[in-house]
Amino acid sequence: MCSILEDEIPLAKERKLNILDRKCMKCKEEPAILITRVNDAFCRGCFQVYVTHKFRAAIGKTKLVRDGEKVLVGISGGPSSCALLHLIQEGLSQRAHKKLRFKPGLIFIDEGQVVGQSLEEHKVTLTRIHSLLRQSGFPYHLCQLADSLDLERVKTLNACQSNHSAVNKINQSAMDINTCSNPVEGDKGDVEISGQDENCCDLIEMNREAEKLFAAQLGSIRSISGKEDFVRALRHRLLLEFARQHGYSKVMLGNTGSQLAVRLLTDISTGRGMQAALETAFADRRNTDMMFLRPLRDFSSKEIAMYNNLHRLECVFIPSLTTMGDVGASIEHLTEAFVTGLQAEYPSTVSNIMRTGEKLDSSSAVDLESHCALCQGPLDTDVGMSSALAALRFSLEISTMGKTNGERCIKGDNSVNNTNDELCSNGVNYDAKVECCGKSDGSCRSSTQLSVPDEGLVLQTLCYGCRIVAMEMDDVNSLPEFVMKDVAWRNRRSVMKAEIQDFLLDDR
Amino acid sequence: MWAERPRGNALCKECFFHAFEEEIHHTIVHAELFKRNETIAIGASGGKDSTVLAYVLKLLNDRHDYGVNLVLLSVDEGITGYRDDSLETVKRNQEQYGLPLKIISYEELYGWTMDAIVKQIGLKNNCTFCGVFRRQALDRGALMLKVDKIATGHNADDIAETVIMNVLRGDIGRLRRCTAITTGTDGALPRCKPFKYTYEKEIVMYAYFKKLDYFSTECIYSPNAYRGFARAYIKDVEKIRPSAIIDIIHSGESLSVKKDIRLPVQGVCERCGYISSNAVCKACVMLEGLNKGLPRLGIGKTHKERRKMQEMLQQETGAADSTPCTDQSLKSSCKCENKTDQSECSSQTYDSDNASGCSTYSKSQKCKDGCSSTNPRTVAKEKLSIFGKLKQPPSIDF
Repeated sequence: MCSILEDEIPLAKERKLNILDRKCMKCKEEPAILITRVNDAFCRGCFQVYVTHKFRAAIGKTKLVRDGEKVLVGISGGPSSCALLHLIQEGLSQRAHKKLRFKPGLIFIDEGQVVGQSLEEHKVTLTRIHSLLRQSGFPYHLCQLADSLDLERVKTLNACQSNHSAVNKINQSAMDINTCSNPVEGDKGDVEISGQDENCCDLIEMNREAEKLFAAQLGSIRSISGKEDFVRALRHRLLLEFARQHGYSKVMLGNTGSQLAVRLLTDISTGRGMQAALETAFADRRNTDMMFLRPLRDFSSKEIAMYNNLHRLECVFIPSLTTMGDVGASIEHLTEAFVTGLQAEYPSTVSNIMRTGEKLDSSSAVDLESHCALCQGPLDTDVGMSSALAALRFSLEISTMGKTNGERCIKGDNSVNNTNDELCSNGVNYDAKVECCGKSDGSCRSSTQLSVPDEGLVLQTLCYGCRIVAMEMDDVNSLPEFVMKDVAWRNRRSVMKAEIQDFLLDDR
Repeated sequence: MWAERPRGNALCKECFFHAFEEEIHHTIVHAELFKRNETIAIGASGGKDSTVLAYVLKLLNDRHDYGVNLVLLSVDEGITGYRDDSLETVKRNQEQYGLPLKIISYEELYGWTMDAIVKQIGLKNNCTFCGVFRRQALDRGALMLKVDKIATGHNADDIAETVIMNVLRGDIGRLRRCTAITTGTDGALPRCKPFKYTYEKEIVMYAYFKKLDYFSTECIYSPNAYRGFARAYIKDVEKIRPSAIIDIIHSGESLSVKKDIRLPVQGVCERCGYISSNAVCKACVMLEGLNKGLPRLGIGKTHKERRKMQEMLQQETGAADSTPCTDQSLKSSCKCENKTDQSECSSQTYDSDNASGCSTYSKSQKCKDGCSSTNPRTVAKEKLSIFGKLKQPPSIDF
């Protein structure tokens, strides 16, 4: 139980955090107005400096964002997104000391369909988000989560703001720190909002087929944890495609440290240990051409909340699958309750978890074939026979097969390429080649014409965590189109490779 | 009688037995845990894991002819109301399964029982003592029996808890090692966990249906352990998704650590010769502390303990020239190997909340050697030799 650097977990003492008579710990002159971390009191000015500095340092230290680079900023409407937006505005404004130099574009992904919002609620949310995005002065886009199923259309989604605020009107928006006044433009914007807003709503509602497809897929996943995983994978894919097609080179997300600690534990609990490092690192490089950045990863939710309070930033609350649910609704919800509860007793919990996450290796796979088709994380299923995956597979086989066939299973071929859950129980060998029969009446069963890939093939292209989600669905083939395309592509490549196998030189 | 497996299939009793046993056989075969003619010591506590382990290993050894010799090894920590009862169970197991048994106690090895330790240290950190002592006790007992391997009854739930606990505590070294099915292959006696992929629920079900005899009370000191949080979390996650336990183990197996992270290096303890990542192993440190009246020596922060020791020294040697090593002499002679911990040695002006002392004993050892104070310290030095050079040769022969 002893770690090398700390011999003892610091126990939380019973103490009242009294800030009435305290001075700011930085400047020691101003009276403190808030307490952050364990017991650090800050005054207003010093807190602003602290937050801004942390944000800028997180971006600047890694030297990943170049001058003039187009960065897509994901805004969900929640408190951390609003804080991120505000910080970016601050950083880009002319008055800032050494201003940031990248070109942000905002994107909001409407996930109202996930919880089944009614049309009115939908409109209200969209209106508020719209006004929030417009006030920022940056180009923004609105799209639906269902668009991820129809990635071709993503190209047609133009930026919504072209008629209204120009990019460089930030100076006029008077985001003065000390007075915290509302931007002048906002008033004008409100009047015009109704006209433009409806256009945007129309833009979102046009994708009805995709919506239906999405609803069907989501509905077929049984557990809420699975649904959440699925939604996350789609969101990631949509951001990726959008950024690619509109010329952005990086995506910035507003996940705070507390959220990322919960994310790490949830990933470990759902079998996504290999991707856990990617999800909590500052730079997520699982796709070689697009980097996902998380500049708020060193902040706790409490600090973000206080920052929003100080600047009177308005957030839009959008319900999720587990809002108002009980603790055991989904694994992520449970983990959140667990971490928050533990943090209250042991204040260093979140920072311990983040530190562990930092030390994990987030090396991404080299070629496209070792990525999961759904979440694009590295594939972690190429493990030996002595592993959890093999044990799980064997256990399933032996539970469904019964005593007499037990012996056959142990000595059977358990190599990764061949195994799928259907193999042993049906006794069908999917590798048998069936030649094209020559009849062209549609009954061809040739194995080179696999129009509907079998379950085993699809599952092979998914990582462990995504496999769990896929196996909960009624029909694995109802996975999104981009997954099925990837599966077909890999299948064709592996067939090609098998044909030329004898001629390939092994470079090991 | 039907059993529903946590993984979702419902089986009748006979099929369940078959599935359970074959899964363990699969684990053993594919991880190559046993070789022909090896002697395996089964860590037997009398609880359900070790009872079922003894039963199943004997059964599989006969059925699949592994060709290994099995012995039972039990450790008596000296916890009244818990261990003495469970030892009776182990003795019954010895008769029932016909395996030889050896019992080794903390009293005979270290001269301390857990009850006496708890009286000294209180209820909060006693699990540390028990864990460290037990590990050594198992190894020493195994050496006395001349076995090749130790098999423990750690099940899937235990390993999942350990993974979560290590993430929460930031212990990256342990996180890397804890999911290995065989540990300690370099140097010390290897130990393996045949139950690595077996759910605790299934072990209980197996023992219940087979009417195996085991002792089922928790250690009386366990409610205050930090592990309790991880255990509660695992139980809750299991309710949501029963396969989560294996998922956590899979995650643990897939974790990889960055290359440039500093990890503890394995060496040998100076005093007893046991493996250790510091100059003196934890068990020796803790024992010294217990014997000298500083029970928190192995647990508390090093600089605080040194300060306490200095205070004790002052009391011992009277008021004459009570200036122990000052900052300056310590600073100059201190060659801290711990590069990441860039702090000075402790001093009297230490603020108790300022936690930046050295954390390796080798450093403190050098500090004492560089000390130029004129205190009559011969008596004190012998007493608190933990911070001084090795005076006597290792007393236990490895």
